Amino acid sequence: MRKLLKLLLITTGLAIGSLAQASAGTLTIAQNFDPQTLWPNGTTASDNLNAGSAMVEGLFWQDPRDNVIKPLLATSWEQETPTSVLIKLRDGVTFTNGEAMNADAVVHSINIFMDKEQTPAYSRVAVAFDSVEKVDDLTVRLKLKYPYPPLALGLTQIVVTPPKYWAEVGLEAYGQKPIGTGPFKFVSWDRDDKLVMEKNDDYWGELPSGIDSLIWRPVPDDNSRVAGLTTGEYQVAKDLPVTAIPELELDSQITLVPVPSYRIYQIGLSSRPEHESPLQNKLVRQALNYAVDKQAIIDNLFFGKAVALNGQVLRSTQLGYNTDLKDYPYDPEKAKQLLAEAGYPDGFSIPFKFPSGRYAQDREVSEAVAGMLDKVGVKTELIALEPGEFLRQLRAQELAPMYFVGLAPQDDPAFQAGQYLSDWRYSPIANEELDRLIDAGAKEMDVDKRAAIYREMMELMHEEVPIIFLYDGIDVYGTTSKLKNFQPRGDGRMFFYGVTLEE
Amino acid sequence: MLQYVVRRLILTIPVIFGILVIAFMLTRLSGDPTDLILPPDVTEEARDAFRQVHGLDKPIWTQFIAFCVQAAQGDFGNSLRFQEPALSLVLERMAATTELALAAMFLAIAIGIPTGVIAAYHRNTFVDITVRSVSLLGQALPSFYLAILSIIIFAVWLRWLPTGGRGGFWHLLLPATTLAFQLVALIARVTRSCMLDVLGQDYIRTARAKGLGETTIVWIHGLRNAFIPVLTVIGLQVGFLMGGVVVTETVFSWPGVGRLAIQAIYARDFPVVQAVVLLFALIFVVVNLIVDILYAVLDPRIGYR
Repeated sequence: MRKLLKLLLITTGLAIGSLAQASAGTLTIAQNFDPQTLWPNGTTASDNLNAGSAMVEGLFWQDPRDNVIKPLLATSWEQETPTSVLIKLRDGVTFTNGEAMNADAVVHSINIFMDKEQTPAYSRVAVAFDSVEKVDDLTVRLKLKYPYPPLALGLTQIVVTPPKYWAEVGLEAYGQKPIGTGPFKFVSWDRDDKLVMEKNDDYWGELPSGIDSLIWRPVPDDNSRVAGLTTGEYQVAKDLPVTAIPELELDSQITLVPVPSYRIYQIGLSSRPEHESPLQNKLVRQALNYAVDKQAIIDNLFFGKAVALNGQVLRSTQLGYNTDLKDYPYDPEKAKQLLAEAGYPDGFSIPFKFPSGRYAQDREVSEAVAGMLDKVGVKTELIALEPGEFLRQLRAQELAPMYFVGLAPQDDPAFQAGQYLSDWRYSPIANEELDRLIDAGAKEMDVDKRAAIYREMMELMHEEVPIIFLYDGIDVYGTTSKLKNFQPRGDGRMFFYGVTLEE
Repeated sequence: MLQYVVRRLILTIPVIFGILVIAFMLTRLSGDPTDLILPPDVTEEARDAFRQVHGLDKPIWTQFIAFCVQAAQGDFGNSLRFQEPALSLVLERMAATTELALAAMFLAIAIGIPTGVIAAYHRNTFVDITVRSVSLLGQALPSFYLAILSIIIFAVWLRWLPTGGRGGFWHLLLPATTLAFQLVALIARVTRSCMLDVLGQDYIRTARAKGLGETTIVWIHGLRNAFIPVLTVIGLQVGFLMGGVVVTETVFSWPGVGRLAIQAIYARDFPVVQAVVLLFALIFVVVNLIVDILYAVLDPRIGYR
C-alpha cells in the first residue's frame, strides 16, 4: 500500500512537470465550436471555415491587413462582358493526394458551389451564377445571369476540391477528411476534442514561418478559453469576453488583437405601412436617435471595445462610406422637443424586442436603451426572445415595430444596403427613393459611380433613420506574444498567410 | 428473478416510446431549424431545398411515423448540422461521457459513504457538524460556479492541472471532482441518516453484546443494512449525472454527449436531440433495473417473483 502511494506521488510529479508548455512549432487554437464539416463551402460558420480553409483553399482571398482581394489558386480574373468572366489559374499546383489543380477541378468546384442542395448557405451569391466552362487547362469562363458588382467577393468564397477524390468519397466524407492545396494537411480529428493538421511541405506558396502543426480545440466556455490562453495551453483564443480584457492586457505573454467586426448593431424602427406605431413619423425616429447615449453604452458595457457608428451602416473601410455624416449626438432635450413636434409631448409606449444570448451583452444593451428612452418619455415594453425564436421573428417580420439586432452581411456594400430594400425580408423601411439607390448600387459596375450612389444612400438613411445607429462590435482575439503578423478578419475568419511563430 | 427482469424490460418499452413521443413533439414545438442552421440571408429556395433534403417539409404525422419506423431499426436520421447519422455522433462521444460519469460516481461513493458513516458514528460531535455543514454547502453550490472556481485555482493560479480537454488522469481530475461534488454531499447525508437509524437497532446491540469489534459492527453489520436506501439514491442520481455532464463538459471542454446535446438543442438539431434523449432514458432505466436487482443481492429477504 505504501509503495503504491509512493509510486502515485512520483507519477504525480512527473505528470505535472510535463504539463508545461506545448512543443515549439505547434500552434493550438481555441475556438468556440468544433467544426461540423471541414469543407469550407459546407457552411458559413467561421469556426468551420477557419479550420477548413487552412487545408482547402479558394480562388482568391480578401486580406484583412489591407482589405485587398488577392490571388490564391487563381492568378487573375477579367471581365469579358458584363456577364462573362475569364479566370486564369495558377500553374503547377497539386492537391496533397497528387491530383492536379486545373480547370477541370475548378469547373467541378464551381458546379458544386452553384448547386443549392449541396451549398444552401451560399445561395445568396451563387444565385447570380449561370454556368461555368473550361477554356483551356488553366482558364475557365464563368457566365453570370446579370451584371454582378460584388463578384470579386463572391470569387473569394469558392473553394477548390479535387474531383477524383470527391467522386470517390462524396460530400459527407470529404468534410470529415478533406484534401486540398492549402498550407496545412489533415492528420487526425477526435470530434469535439481536437483536430490536428501538419504543414504541407509541398505547398505552392510560402508557408507560415515556425508553425509545424496546427491543433484546433473547441472550448465553448468563454472563461475556459481565457484560462487556457493564460496558462499557455492555447496560443490563439477566439472571441474573448470583454470582461476579461482588462486583466489580459496586463499579461506580457499575451497579445490582444481587437478586430472591428462586420456586425453592425442597431435598433430597428419599422416605418413600414403594415406596422402601425408612432415610429411611422420620421421626427419620432430622429428623436429616438437623439435620446440614446451610444458612447455611454460602449464605455460602460464594452469597456470601450466597440466603435460608434457615424450615422451610417457602412464601415469606414467600405466603398461608399460617407465622410460628411456624423452620428446623432446624445441630446435628450432635442429628443423631447422633436417628440412634442411630432404630437407626442408626453411620449408613448411601445413594445421592444431583443434576443437574449445571441450577441455579446444583448440584454444589457437593450435594457440600457430602454432606460434612456424612458427619460424622454418613451416607455418600452421589453420582450426578451430565445435566439432561435428571435431569428424566426426577424425573418417573418414579427419583430416590428422596434427591436435590437446585429446584422453581419458580407463585406460588399450591396449586402449591407440590400437589408433596407423594401421587399427584403427583414427591412424596417419601405422607401421608394431608397429602393432606387439600392438597386442602382447593386447593378453599377463603375466603382466611382457606385461609391457615389452609396454615399447618397447613406445620407438618405441618415435623414430617414430606419434604425437607431448603435455601434460596430469589436471581436477580441488573444494570442501568444510570439505570434506575429496575425490579423483576423471582421467576419470571424483567421488566416495563416504571412504569419510567423517565433521560437 | 429472470421472469422479473424480463417483465421489467417489457414494461420499459412503453416508457421509452412515451419519451420518444415527447422528445419528438417538444423539438418540433421549438420552431424551424432552418432559422438557426442556415445564415439569415439565404434565399427561400435554398431553405426549401434544405427542408426537403431532411424531410422537414412533410406533415408532422408523416415525419413521426417515418421516425418511429427508422428508430426501431436503430436509425435516427442524419444530423441537420453535421451531415452524419445522429446516432453515430452520439455513440462516438459516449466513451468520454462514460469515463467522466463513472469517475465522478466512483469518487462520490468512495468519499460520500465513509464520510456519512463516520458522521453518523460520531453523531453530534465536531466531526458530524463539519460533515453536515460542508455537505449542505456542497449541495447548494452550483456546479458551473464550482467548475470555473476550480479552473481558476488549480489551473490558472497553481498551474497544477490543465484547464480543459480530454487526456489522461490529470485532465479527468477537475471535471470529475466538480461533477462528483454535489453527489458526495447527497450520498454522505443519506448515508448518515440511514446509519443513524441502523445504529440504534436491536441487532447492533446484540452484535456488541456478543463481543464483535466496533469496525465489524459499523462497516459490516451497520452499513450493509443501511445501504439499500443509499443504493436507491445512487441509482436515481444517474439522472442527475446526465444533467450534470452538460454543464461540466461545456466548462471543461470535455468531448462528450452532454456538450453535443446542449449544442444540438441550441441549433434545433432534432435528430441529435432525439438520439441523446433516448440514450439517456435507456441508461437511466437500465441502471435503475440493476439497482433493483442489487437489492435482492444485498438483502436476501427481498425476492422477486
